Amino acid sequence: MPRYALTIAGRVIRQLLRDRRTIALIIIVPMVVMTLIGLSFPEGMVLDRIAPALLATMVLFFSFLLTGISFLRERSQGTMERLMASPVSRLDVVLGYLFGFFLFALAQTLIILLFTIYVLDVNYYGDLWQIFVFQVIIIAGAVNLGIFTSTFARNEFQMVQFIPLILFPQVFLCGVIWPVEQMPEYLQWLGRFLPLKYGVDGLRDIMLSGMSLIDVWFELLVLVGFTVVTSVLATLTLRRGVGG
Amino acid sequence: MATADSNHVAVDINEVTFRYGNIRALDGLSLTVPSGISFGLLGPNGAGKTTLIRLLVGLLKPKRGSVHVLGEVPSRHTASRVGYMPQLHSLYTELSIRQNVEFFARINGLTDRTERAQRVEDTIRLVDLWSRRNDSVTKLSGGMRQRVSLACAIVHNPPLLLLDEPTVGLDPELRVTFWEHFANLNEQGVTIIVSSHTMDDAAHCDCLAFMRNGRVIAEGSPDELRGDTGQTTLEDAFLYYVRSEEGDRA
Repeated sequence: MPRYALTIAGRVIRQLLRDRRTIALIIIVPMVVMTLIGLSFPEGMVLDRIAPALLATMVLFFSFLLTGISFLRERSQGTMERLMASPVSRLDVVLGYLFGFFLFALAQTLIILLFTIYVLDVNYYGDLWQIFVFQVIIIAGAVNLGIFTSTFARNEFQMVQFIPLILFPQVFLCGVIWPVEQMPEYLQWLGRFLPLKYGVDGLRDIMLSGMSLIDVWFELLVLVGFTVVTSVLATLTLRRGVGG
Repeated sequence: MATADSNHVAVDINEVTFRYGNIRALDGLSLTVPSGISFGLLGPNGAGKTTLIRLLVGLLKPKRGSVHVLGEVPSRHTASRVGYMPQLHSLYTELSIRQNVEFFARINGLTDRTERAQRVEDTIRLVDLWSRRNDSVTKLSGGMRQRVSLACAIVHNPPLLLLDEPTVGLDPELRVTFWEHFANLNEQGVTIIVSSHTMDDAAHCDCLAFMRNGRVIAEGSPDELRGDTGQTTLEDAFLYYVRSEEGDRA
């Protein structure tokens, strides 16, 4: 039973809150990016259609990046070694960081969502709270993916190399830019193993077709499954030993 | 599994070998550290001191041989009875001194809020940083960070302290202060194992192990090591053992 997960989460939250520059960037950067994207689509109709895919991608991207880099920093500064030499378990560490980073990823997602809808004036059909809940599931998977991936990187440069490796294929293979149906069969098959496909499909169904969370149960289930699998993998790969 | 004389022996290392790939960091090393003393692991860089300390805190597992700390195999279950100060400062730089010490108190099992607050205050006062308690670590000098790092290692009052080069980068005055802290802790029954490559530190220890190439080449009190070799300084005593060992090999 993880005894110290909340203690670690509290520390992660306090640590990020004291870093005002990072907080400012967490708030400002998504708004700047979304503004540029919004301006690049002069026709509102096109933006309405692409908004669900953009929202899913942004959430995945920012949550993965925030967690991956922050978690890696813990290891390069030696604080992870100290933590692993204490009575905390690996599950404590993974859950602690998950809860801690989740809060900031959640805030960032809410900013992206509200900015997209109220500032960029994107039209949608589904309930706003259902869109947000669906995104929360994407965040949980992305945060765990960030933790899991960072265990394979020894420094920030290596971590940055994982961005094109892990995020770019998802953008191209999951229907963000062009419909999946237009891709070769084997790429469509590959796309079925990538979480962003289910994030994009689910959000499209809610935002463009007005479906509910119950209607997109399959996509939700896959994303929850992805979160569980990445949690387990992150816990297993987080070695107690040095550098892990 | 507890060792037979676990009440009097803080650390028992038996024929331990550890490798990083093809590099043999520890080579059949055996060592026994009695409780309540300051024990120095002395040797040049690459001698295996840090590897040994990482084995004692359970961050590494020996490939061969056995390690017992306070009568048990090192694990996270023994961790709350061990205070570990790594070579790097290993502090949360955005957090204040108090927040750092408080965090390590919590994860080392100080659950009672009142007791924890008192321990945190006492420990920060002990390292003479109470007036700076709300400053973030980024605002502190290297020596102050070392003191915070020590505070994080001792806040939960562990019976065994493992300090990996704790005096590196400290000015002479601060080095003396650190050793005064260690002597006070010894008087309270705390066992302290300190790794160092400076002979200044060695002179403060009750007992020393000279290490080289992953092995202990000599062991004893500073006086014994000087006396046995007929040397006046520990540095010369260390070199005497190095030459003897090389002579034996030749």
